[in-house]
Amino acid sequence: MKLNLSPAKLYKSLNLTIFTAVIVFLYIPILILVIFSFNDAKIITSWKGFTFKYYQLLLQNTDIKYAFQNTILIAVLSTLLSTVLGVLTALGLENKAFKGRKGIQLLIYIPLVIPDILMGVSLALLFNFVRINTGMFTVLIAHITFCISYTIIVIQSRLEGFDHSLVEAAMDLGAKPAQVFWKVKFPLMMPGIVAAALLAFTLSIDDFIITFFTSGRGFDTLPIYVEGTIRRGAITTINSLSTLMITFTLFLVVVSKRIRKIIL
Amino acid sequence: MNDLELKAAARRNRNSWILTAPALLWLTVFFLIPYLIVVVYSFLTPDIYEVKFRLSLTSYLDVVSSAYLRSLFLAFKLAFQTTAICLLIGYPVAYFIARSSEKIKNTLLILIIIPFWTNLIIRIFSWRIFLSYNGVLNDTLMRIGLISSPLEIMRTDLAVILVMVYVYLPYMILPLYSVLEKIDFTLLQAAMDLGANEAKAYFKVTLPLSAEGIFAGSILVFIPALGAYLIPQLVGNQQSLYIGQIITYKIKNIPRNWPLASALSLVLLFLVALLLVLMFTAYKRRKDKLKGLVA
Repeated sequence: MKLNLSPAKLYKSLNLTIFTAVIVFLYIPILILVIFSFNDAKIITSWKGFTFKYYQLLLQNTDIKYAFQNTILIAVLSTLLSTVLGVLTALGLENKAFKGRKGIQLLIYIPLVIPDILMGVSLALLFNFVRINTGMFTVLIAHITFCISYTIIVIQSRLEGFDHSLVEAAMDLGAKPAQVFWKVKFPLMMPGIVAAALLAFTLSIDDFIITFFTSGRGFDTLPIYVEGTIRRGAITTINSLSTLMITFTLFLVVVSKRIRKIIL
Repeated sequence: MNDLELKAAARRNRNSWILTAPALLWLTVFFLIPYLIVVVYSFLTPDIYEVKFRLSLTSYLDVVSSAYLRSLFLAFKLAFQTTAICLLIGYPVAYFIARSSEKIKNTLLILIIIPFWTNLIIRIFSWRIFLSYNGVLNDTLMRIGLISSPLEIMRTDLAVILVMVYVYLPYMILPLYSVLEKIDFTLLQAAMDLGANEAKAYFKVTLPLSAEGIFAGSILVFIPALGAYLIPQLVGNQQSLYIGQIITYKIKNIPRNWPLASALSLVLLFLVALLLVLMFTAYKRRKDKLKGLVA
């Protein structure tokens, strides 16, 4: 009997196998982390029973509270500023005949293709050179710097993608430039602006290395706090903290889907 | 063009300058000028805390010492291995998602993206729990009797590569998916109708059409992997120090050596720039060649 397996089917089942393996690979460590956040044991080893103890410890920890507040503060401020800069710049670059277009576009792309660590080093040395004490202010500057390239590019791609005949129609119908912008163009840009803001927010709360170089002692964001704690080996609350952060991420995913649905 | 049109064009040009000025100024002050300072610092005299403002070439003489060259080499090797493995695993995954039915495509993509949105340091930390000497993997393997004593995976080069692939895989899958998704698969069918077998159709049609995604994904993985600090720091060992670790130590840890860190950063920057130029030229040449074939 001939085996009924064409190469196409074989490839397909092979791809399915690889896909499944990759999903397992991607989720196993995270699942283990979540499960073990409820484990009643000081070190990570095997299962010793269910407990909420480490969540209680987490809530009492003021360092974590401050780190969380710092993270959110920096994320909100850098998202706002980098998104505003993104909107302005994308609008300015829309003009194809603009003399500075090529140069500025290049300047926007370069930070994306350079390892993050180099931005961290260069900003650390800048702040040292001009004698600015590192802290919240320097972290904020750094976060805006690495976010703006992303926000500009995301908003630009939206500006290029939408139906410009709508803008022309509004002008033909006699709308004033300000009206055209606020009533037609800006609403059309909105999905791009939201996407850019969400990206900036995620990049900001996720960043470790650039913050590591630009934050001084006494200004920890959550990633900096977590790294320090792991390094010191005092990791009892890190599992539960991580679980909460993963929950927060899932929450953001859901919220962003909702926002997009409402705006689109 | 008449006078009125010229005036309007000039006005639009001026508006563009006004709109782009804030970002231009920001990137000049906080992106370009800092690199000039790195250049300046690389020629200063090191000090255990900061720098002495006295010209010196010691940092450049230090760069060529074997330890730092080895770290640079290790970083390139790691970036290359990570990119190759990500491509090897990521391609079938992206292909699978691209050829799935429209209904489940988005769900599959979100499955790939969620870990990517999870905080980097948490993902690395979860691997420490999984791989450590008395961690979950060893515990499970010993319970089911596959091994008699724990495997030592944590703090090895293998652990570094494993976690690097874990972290960077989505950066490879997403651009690959976005090009594979756009491919008109009737072309593949056409090639086969014309007598090409499946493998030939794949290599002559699908692979060339997905070159753009391979290119984008490889850059997105290779470049950040070159500067890796956190992953080797948390799951690697002190015998294999990567350039990102050396640079960070020289900036943060006492005795510091900022001129050396600056010089090493500049070397890395130069190599990245060189690599990008080479890749883009090769890519453009390939694309022109394809265009030539079509025309």
